[in-house]
Amino acid sequence: MRNGPLARRDMLKGSLAAGGLLGLQACASAPAARLASAAGSRLSKPRLVPMRITPDQLIDVKCCIRPLRAAGPNLATEMVGDTLVVHNYGHGGSGWSLSWGSAEIAVGKALSVLPSEIAVIGCGIVGLTAAVVAQRAGLKVTIYARDMLPRTRSFRASGSFTPDARVALLEPAGPNFPALWEQMTRLSWKTFRTYLGVTGNPVEFSDSYQVSDKPIERRTYPRDPAITDSYATKGLPLQSAEFAHLSSRIRDIVPQAVPLSPEENPFPTPYATRTSQMHFNFASYGHLLMSEFFERGGAFVMRDFHTPAEVATLKEKVVIHSSGYAARDLWKDRTIIPVRGQTGWLVPQPEANYGVRYNNVSLLSKSDGVVVMNNNPDLGDMLGVGNSMELPVRADIEAGLQIMAPLFAPQPPARPA
Amino acid sequence: MRIARATLGVAAMLACGAIAGAVFSAPAPAASAPATRSVTTASGVYSAAQAEEGSRLYAVRCAMCHGQMLEGTMETPALRGKFVANWARSPVGHLFDYVSKAMPQFAPGSLSPAENAAIVAFLLRENGMRAGNSPLSSDPEVLKTITFMPDGPAR
Repeated sequence: MRNGPLARRDMLKGSLAAGGLLGLQACASAPAARLASAAGSRLSKPRLVPMRITPDQLIDVKCCIRPLRAAGPNLATEMVGDTLVVHNYGHGGSGWSLSWGSAEIAVGKALSVLPSEIAVIGCGIVGLTAAVVAQRAGLKVTIYARDMLPRTRSFRASGSFTPDARVALLEPAGPNFPALWEQMTRLSWKTFRTYLGVTGNPVEFSDSYQVSDKPIERRTYPRDPAITDSYATKGLPLQSAEFAHLSSRIRDIVPQAVPLSPEENPFPTPYATRTSQMHFNFASYGHLLMSEFFERGGAFVMRDFHTPAEVATLKEKVVIHSSGYAARDLWKDRTIIPVRGQTGWLVPQPEANYGVRYNNVSLLSKSDGVVVMNNNPDLGDMLGVGNSMELPVRADIEAGLQIMAPLFAPQPPARPA
Repeated sequence: MRIARATLGVAAMLACGAIAGAVFSAPAPAASAPATRSVTTASGVYSAAQAEEGSRLYAVRCAMCHGQMLEGTMETPALRGKFVANWARSPVGHLFDYVSKAMPQFAPGSLSPAENAAIVAFLLRENGMRAGNSPLSSDPEVLKTITFMPDGPAR
């Protein structure tokens, strides 16, 4: 048994945690952070380091457009002159998450005409991953792109495993899409697992809390009968119910949220759930993938394309097309719908290694910063749909930080036990 | 670039909606002829009914590992795309031999030669190679005269 101030503080917290319902009531009325629990008081109660979330800790605000394609990612093939083009674009908010499974399909189609070398257009996460998968299959690969990965839209994502985030609209995607999505998702999941524990933590899991002042219910997407129009009539989705929600297909491998008892909830809210979230650390993951590409003899050519016909001028006669949102203009694919999203980045806080979501604002601690997303107003999947304004708005992030502030407010003086 | 020009030509025709395989005139495989590129799996070397029978067999003997859509998994090879690259340019007899001796993995060699020929026919169909009038033989002497070559890009 330790003595001194530390031991006393532990004891006080232990008594608070053991207080159970009393502790809950106190927390419900006063937004007091309760983030560090007494070591050994309860095995189930995590010791969390509070995040520093004041606006002065912001080091970046980034905005990007997700390429939502109504029918889901385009994986079709077509001939442009004498060149076989294998499309691999339009992954919505799921490019990172589906990158390996999608590459497997695209590279498989490329391989089916027996090339020895191929080109990849685009060096976002989808293009780069396809390039590496093609190399692993023995092909010589040249990437043609405007920019390397760190300057693509992929690096302006939030970087969590979210394989069905605005990835398709259910009806336009058709009855075969869910199975295809599941195939891509499962292969990606298994491949990401091969990066767990690698130096620099390119891929890692962390605990992710959802906390609330109201009971937390599983989100559902009922169709609003008052909205009679849809993508079919307007060319844009008009309600969340139109989107493909497929995550229940992978419940067997992806950790699900479990409700926490008041004793288990490290936050000063009456309700909480916890799950484990896989995320990607852009810097180390991107570096690893680029390094593999070059180590395998990959070539990178910086160039832009303006028409599909230009693709046929490449010396490679099999081309994987992964230009992402840019395909809307390059390939005149008007079924790509812009979905705006933005992230704020707080200074990295590796000691606070968790994520938390409260009132539609989320924080997730990653190696290159704590990513902040303010998904308000609460429009579900409709947030940002049709919005191609790609400049960040810092005020929205600061407003999100303000919403989160009560979770980390200093503890009031502890009452005597 | 090692893509056979004919292959890309066919791919172009497929993309344009032309009749697949029209550029190939498939001579009947002669039992004694060595493997040549003139008889390939793109020339209509199996029958539609045989592939249908193969589809039925695949569903009960193969799909539990390779997937209903032949998609494979992280651990089990897909039977599209890369599969074509793996078997291309060699006699289709090699594939038939492998399927006959190694598959299904839980009971290798348990299918009859006719069943294995039907499964190979199904795999050819699923990889875009057209059906012909006669079923694929299970005679090794015939199978070694047919070169496994794709008929265009995978769907």
